[in-house]
Formats: sequence, C-alpha cells, structure tokens
Amino acid sequence: MAEKPRLKVPKEAKKGDLIEIKTLLPHVMESGQRKDRDGKMIPRKIINKFVCEFNGKPVFAVDLEPAVAANPYMQFHAKVDESGTFKFSWIDDDGTVTTAEESVTVM
Amino acid sequence: MTRGGILASGIATVVFMVTVFAIAGGSGALGQVTKEAPLETKGEASVRPWKRYVGWPARDESTYNTLGNVATPAAPTRPRKIAGPITGDAKKGSELVADRDRGGSCLACHVMGPAGGANLPGNIAPDLSEIGNAGREDEWLFNYIYDARVYNPETVMPPWGSHGFFNDEEINDMVAFLKTLRSPAAFKTALDDPSKRPPPVEKRENLDPIENPAMWSVDKAQELWKQAGAAGKSCQSCHASANAEFKTWAASMPKWEPRLEKVLGVEEFVTRHAKATTGADWLMESDENRAMSVYLHYLANGTPIRVDTTSPEAKAAIERGKELSARKVGQLNMACTDCHGKVANHWIRGQWLAEPKGQYDHFPTWRTSLLAIWDIRQRFQWCQVNIRADELPPDAKEYGDLELYLAAQNDGQKLSVPGIRH
Repeated sequence: MAEKPRLKVPKEAKKGDLIEIKTLLPHVMESGQRKDRDGKMIPRKIINKFVCEFNGKPVFAVDLEPAVAANPYMQFHAKVDESGTFKFSWIDDDGTVTTAEESVTVM
Repeated sequence: MTRGGILASGIATVVFMVTVFAIAGGSGALGQVTKEAPLETKGEASVRPWKRYVGWPARDESTYNTLGNVATPAAPTRPRKIAGPITGDAKKGSELVADRDRGGSCLACHVMGPAGGANLPGNIAPDLSEIGNAGREDEWLFNYIYDARVYNPETVMPPWGSHGFFNDEEINDMVAFLKTLRSPAAFKTALDDPSKRPPPVEKRENLDPIENPAMWSVDKAQELWKQAGAAGKSCQSCHASANAEFKTWAASMPKWEPRLEKVLGVEEFVTRHAKATTGADWLMESDENRAMSVYLHYLANGTPIRVDTTSPEAKAAIERGKELSARKVGQLNMACTDCHGKVANHWIRGQWLAEPKGQYDHFPTWRTSLLAIWDIRQRFQWCQVNIRADELPPDAKEYGDLELYLAAQNDGQKLSVPGIRH
C-alpha cells in the first residue's frame, strides 16, 4: 500500500507569524545509479519536484536530484497573514502526483 | 469460531482450552478473564527451509556451534612448538591486523599503535601499542594469535589459526608486526581513542513518524486489524477496542506456551493466533507480522516489562536461555555473554557493546542504517551471522528461551516501541 505523506503544520498561528512546516513523503528515491543483483541498472524513480502553496499562491518549491535520500524530508518556514490551507504536492518521475493539505487558523 | 468449528483446512487442530487466562499477563492487572487464546499449533511460524535475508553475507558455518547444534572442534590442549625465531613481513602484518574482511580485524578489540591509522580501534582487549617492549617469546605471540585458549581457557579472543581465519605465514607476519610496536598510539582525535570516546546516547523522538518510519507500521497495522482473513473474520471481530485490551499485553511477553512446548514472543503468537482465528498468513518476518508486532508493542508503551519468571516451565526456559547465552558459537567462537557480559560497556571498533539491560524495551526497532524494522529475533539472527555462526529460523525454540532470559533481565524497563537505532 502507498504510504501517506507525514506533515507537521501548526493548527493555529498569530497574524504575521513565521511558522515551521515539516513534510516527509515515504519514497524509495531510487537514484538510477545502482545495479541489482544480476548487474542490471535499476531504473531511476525519484520525487523530482516538491511544491507548497498557500491558498493557491506559491510558498516554496524545490527540484530534487537523484542524490536525495529515501523518504525526502523538507523543513521550511512560511509567513501567514490569513487563515487558509497549505497544499503540498510531490511529483514522481512516473508522473504520479501525491498531494496533501493542512489548514491553519490565524487568530 | 463459526463454520462448524473449522476455519479452513489445516486449522482443525486448533485447541480450545477452558482454563482461565488473564490477558494482561503476569500481573493480571486488568483482571480480565477470557478463554485461552486460540493458536495454530501445527506447522512452523516462519519460512521453511529458512533462507538468510537478502544482503546478508552468504556463508556456510555448519562446522561450528550454533544455538541449536554443537559442532565446533575441540580446542587444542597445548601450544604449538615453533622452531627458531619468527621472520615474518611486518608490513604485511600491519595490514592484516587492520583487515576488516578477515573476521573483523585485531583493531576491533585492541589498540595497536599506528595500525589502521589508529582509526577507531576498540578497547575490549589490552592495548598492544607497546607489546614489542614486553619481552614476549615468538612462540607465545604466535600461539596467542593461533589459539589463545591454550594460555587462557576463558578468553574471548577468537582462535584465529585453529578456526581458519589466518594461515601460519600470515600469523608470522602479524607476530613480526607486533614486535615492532614500541610506543603508545598517537590518536588523531579524541574520538579515535576508545578510552575517551563517549558512549552513544539515543535522543531521537522514536514515536515521531517524521523521525521514525517504523511508526508508519502503526497505521498499517490498524488497517490490517480491520482486514478480513481467509476465514472471513478480522482482528476487529474479536478485539473491538485494541487500545484498552492490549494496554499491557506485550510487556508480559514472551511467555511459555504449553500447547507448543516452547516460549512464544509477540511475533510468533501473532502468526499462530491469526492463522487460528482470521486465517491470515502472517509468517514471522513478513511485513504484516512486523507491523502487527510494532503495533501491539506500541499499545503497551510505558508499561514496565514483567514476564513470567516463576512458573516451573518459565524457570526451566530461563535456565536454558542462560546456558545458551554462554555457549560459544560460530567461527569467531563467541558467546552472548562474551560481548554483552564479560566485555560489555566497551568498544568493538566503532560499535558500543551494551549490557543486556536496555537491549529489549525498544524492539521491534527501526534501523536507520538499513531502512528496515528489526524484531528481536532478527536481531538475534544478525548477532549469530556477525560472529560467523549459522542463524536459526526466527521461531526456533532456542531463541524463545533466549528471549525470555533477556526479557527477565529487562524486568521493569518500560516499553518504548518502535525504537530507533543506527
């Protein structure tokens, strides 16, 4: 079964707060540089892009390379001025897009 | 039990006993009284024939003791006579003592001056950096490497010669190197010096799923809990409130099981109980079994380990476990009590050898170096393979005795599962 993303986003924040966001997606991050037991190359399969949006506006995005280890973990900060929803997307080499959302309420 | 009391072929042997059974285990803290849990008593609880895990060294060590078999040749009774002074190649010797592919290298246990760049040597055995000043005879040095048991029957040093790690010429080279050692080791950093290297401390948040991927098993197990097996029932069918029912259970395991006449840990219990009830095939060391074991231990987190050590059967099993833990096994000829008794709390190369207490409460644990969950039986198996002994299948009765002995030594330690270790 596909593993679900792991997220840590504060439920509440004060207006203008810089909040810490942690995300992790279980994923093999197969680099494409390894050989299997029979000497055949194991094809590359990585998350090549991660995007975070808040209420539809981009907050943070990163291109990932094959050297990134399994289960890519991203920790970053975002300033929140209004209540809303963070949307996270992980884009796999095979085209699969895994998404997750977390809401934060600005007091 | 529906369908006329038979769940599926091969399950007709399930035994129902009407004796009372306190599900909370040794202490009976919850005071719940239920029927004894059904168990599949036929067959094995792990793959047969047992196959060593992918990626583990493939070696046949069947000429040496295992925990299930005694095969090691007897130790020599007297030193070998060496005619004349030994003239080996000291440079080759300095490489051999640091060669990790030859049973772990001398540096695993000894500081040896500049050998191996004085890089992370262990301190289990005497510092040999000035052995060249000790006035030892060549014959004594040769025999100490060849088979130290001729001088000290209690030694933990592997019999490098009689167990075939090194030939005579190679031992001669090492003797020649030892004779060149005349001044204390110069360590590049404090970490290289095993007397100053701080013991490892595990501070990670082992119950945080971002830190510890083994926590994902808790979610996975909760899905498995509701999944119907071949018999049409799920765990949920009988255990609707897992949180309350299993608040302490895992801390009372392992336990002597009279129907199988062996000690069962959580993992084998899950295999046999699931087979007998839901019909699920959750063999030990399958992903499902590991997930269920993590979950059932997790539910009992914080509970002090308290296993049955007083019934006659438990006492006998603990006694057997204690004897097994002192059996020298494998090509390296080591016993559990060597590394985790006699020389515990020392460094074997860069690895800390810990006492048995504290080595049970976090299993199954996440291995960050392997990206895998290991239960205690797999840990036992790796210890064996590491000292070049053939491992037993995870459900071997010997591991049951050993696990109970280990759990008894961890009495009172609070469960914190899944752990997280290198």
